Amino acid sequence: MKNGIDEAISIRELRVDYGDFVAVRDISMSIPWGEVYGLVGPNGAGKTSTFQVLATLMEPTYGEVTVAGYDVLEQTSGARRVMGYMPDLAPVPSDLKAWEFLDFHADTHALGGRRDRRKRVDECLEIAGLREKRNAWCRALSRGQTQRLVLAKTLLHRPQVLILDEPASGLDPLARRELRLALQRLAADGATVIVSSHILSELAEMCSLLCVMSDGQLLASGTVEDVRRELGRSERQITVTPVNGAGKVREWLDDRGGVGAVREVESKVHFSFQGSDEEQAELMAAMMASGVRIKAFEESGSSFEEILIDVAERSRGQ
Amino acid sequence: MTTSTAQVNFDDPRPSAWPPVWMIWKNPIVRRYCHSRLRLRGLGIWLLVTLLISGFIFFAARSASIHQGEMELVDAERTALIPLLVFQGIILFLLGTGQVAGGMTAESDEGVIDYQRLAPMSPLAKVLGYLFGLPIREYVLVLATMPFTLWGLWRGEVPWGISVQLYGVFFTSGILYHLTGLVAGTVVKNKRWAFLVSMAVVFLLYTVIPQLANFGLVYFRYLTIMPVLEESWPYLIQRTAGAAVISVQNLLPKASFFDLNFPQVVFTVFSQIALILTGIAMLWRRWRRAESHLLGKLWAILVFAWVQIVLLGNALPLIEPGYLFPSRGLDRFTGRFRTGDWSPQIWEAGAIVVTFGLSTLAMLWIITVMITPNRETRLRGWRKARKLNRSWLSPLSDPATSWPWVVTMVTIGVAGWYVFAKAVVEAHWFPGQLLHPRALPAFALVLMTGGLGFHAILEGRGGRAAGLAAIFIGVVPIMAGTILAIVNEELPAPAIWMGAISPLAGVFLSSSISMGLPDVSPELYRAIPRAFWFWQVLGVLVLLRLTLALRKSLRTTANVADEREPLPEFEAPEEGERLPAG
Repeated sequence: MKNGIDEAISIRELRVDYGDFVAVRDISMSIPWGEVYGLVGPNGAGKTSTFQVLATLMEPTYGEVTVAGYDVLEQTSGARRVMGYMPDLAPVPSDLKAWEFLDFHADTHALGGRRDRRKRVDECLEIAGLREKRNAWCRALSRGQTQRLVLAKTLLHRPQVLILDEPASGLDPLARRELRLALQRLAADGATVIVSSHILSELAEMCSLLCVMSDGQLLASGTVEDVRRELGRSERQITVTPVNGAGKVREWLDDRGGVGAVREVESKVHFSFQGSDEEQAELMAAMMASGVRIKAFEESGSSFEEILIDVAERSRGQ
Repeated sequence: MTTSTAQVNFDDPRPSAWPPVWMIWKNPIVRRYCHSRLRLRGLGIWLLVTLLISGFIFFAARSASIHQGEMELVDAERTALIPLLVFQGIILFLLGTGQVAGGMTAESDEGVIDYQRLAPMSPLAKVLGYLFGLPIREYVLVLATMPFTLWGLWRGEVPWGISVQLYGVFFTSGILYHLTGLVAGTVVKNKRWAFLVSMAVVFLLYTVIPQLANFGLVYFRYLTIMPVLEESWPYLIQRTAGAAVISVQNLLPKASFFDLNFPQVVFTVFSQIALILTGIAMLWRRWRRAESHLLGKLWAILVFAWVQIVLLGNALPLIEPGYLFPSRGLDRFTGRFRTGDWSPQIWEAGAIVVTFGLSTLAMLWIITVMITPNRETRLRGWRKARKLNRSWLSPLSDPATSWPWVVTMVTIGVAGWYVFAKAVVEAHWFPGQLLHPRALPAFALVLMTGGLGFHAILEGRGGRAAGLAAIFIGVVPIMAGTILAIVNEELPAPAIWMGAISPLAGVFLSSSISMGLPDVSPELYRAIPRAFWFWQVLGVLVLLRLTLALRKSLRTTANVADEREPLPEFEAPEEGERLPAG
């Protein structure tokens, strides 16, 4: 709880329509304080529409949405004070320099006199790693620098809730890693971050909680493992490297419960296993007890990309 | 990107206080444009060019007056004032308005307008920020020319009251035009189009609109600085000529509003402020909620009624003295009206009645477009209503049908047009002439078929269909009728029958019928009323069909919005807006 408010973001029965097309279909979710919350889904899932409603830029067809306790429809000004929004492919004006752009937005948030604003502008340029670009024209910045400048703008007024729509688009791998660390640090400092990205594996690493959307609906939410389980993909891939012949291991695995798709590749045995952690431990113990000598074994889950592609295809199929 | 430097501190989002909205110079948006539009590099060249031109105007006019015109020094100092005013008008009115419209559209194009939406400033502060921020360079350029003007006003011994009223109205006019540009920039998506449309509006205000004032629509003059400039004219020219102009001006009316007389400056400022407030209200709505209609339904009706009242209020007092008639404008210069042998022709009465009807119909269409919801807006409104377990839409809300409000405007329009026509036709200038009893139903039919028909197509079938209908029913029949009349002079009746399809021609024909069709050939005497009544009756039948289709469309939308169960056959009392609870 923060300032007497239980949740950073609360969405109840949110719906957004564009004519006959339903972009967001009666979704509900709540995001606790201090989390980095990821919104994942294929194109057209309704992520950006949800973000635009959260950011007070769009009136939903109906639904109750609060940000830090402020109703985004009725208490728009209050909500805008406590949130920072960074749109997808964040634009910048062509006729301002980087510091002027930030100073203008510091001014629109009434962040004090000229000296206070300049100090805050320099702080945010530092956070975004753009100190040396202070006097550069916005139009002269690269795509990645532009993203970071807009992130700096988003942080200016010390928002309690950060809404970032595809913030990593256009960033190189190093900048993405830095962004991820920056967002995690912001959350550690007390901000709540809700972020969408099409780089799903990265989002899984970045976020403490995730939610999967498709066709305007919420399909699953929770931790990465929760989502994986909820979407019915608890299958793991196990690779065993035996000392005394892979054939014996393969034979032993045949017809075992939960085991499927056994393959022998270069003295290693790959197989899938569907079951709980306890059942997996029992299987390994039984294998050892049967006399098989194992040099190494390795476990991997289905990749998150695979899960989401599967979800999107299933959703479209329906 | 660094990860361990400045402290973020998310627990203190409280800003310092915003300055009051009237402190324009502290408005962040104004300050933003001071940065971008007043950079020395760009401004320097503009300033240089402006100072060169204004300096040239000043010194050339002054020197020519002294050395060629052999004027006294006081008179010579005045001669540059009007050319300078024209130059200042080009900068502030034309360039400034274009800059406002283009700048606003550029903000949308670049996508940065969403950042301003997110700023927790009040919508009014945002409107004023753009209104004064976008044309900031033009204000500076006009200020740069002011030393020459102030010198002329001071040394030319122009009374300070005159200077203040002239430049006061100059700046309120500038604000009004910039506001027009801001609205255009908000509505028009293409930057170049917004720029051109807004400049075209200013251009028309000083070219076509003043001509409308000569055809009965006096109010439109007060949207320009012309009335105040005319009043100030004697003090801006040579003193002897100015004294002569004053004696003529004493014969001319002041700004009249029914039985009240105002100085031109008072009525101009009053009229412009009313429109400025309306423009600000439009933009305020858009900044508060991007999907809003430009005007709320109630405000739109009030604006329509207000325009009708001021048109009547300005025009009616000028009928009996004769100032309203077009030929009076010409005769003012010949001096014939002062000798008492002037009187208006009956065609002039017909022309101003037609002009009034056309302006009413145009205004009706414009406001109808502003307040009529499209299908998407209606659908969203109904979905929200159904979610809240309501079986109706608030009649004032944007998603509600505008049908009752268009009916209200038609009623107001018919009343205004009839009162105007009666006052003009039955004036003492036309002894024995009475407005025909058929005038009221004729006017009502024209505005009903033209106004409600347009509305039914717009709301039922969308803007594209309404636009096509306006072209193919409103304009093409007139063109075809005109060509028919041109190619064969013996076919005036078929030409009338063809043209009468158009509601615009309906305005013309109904006015003719109302005045008893004086001075027309027997063939036309028969054709005009027959063609008019035939097409109007047919128009009413089509209108009924369109209205039924609209009701069905409204009902379908409401049913689509209700995803639980379809509604029974139509039984709602208010155009499909009230539905069984469920």
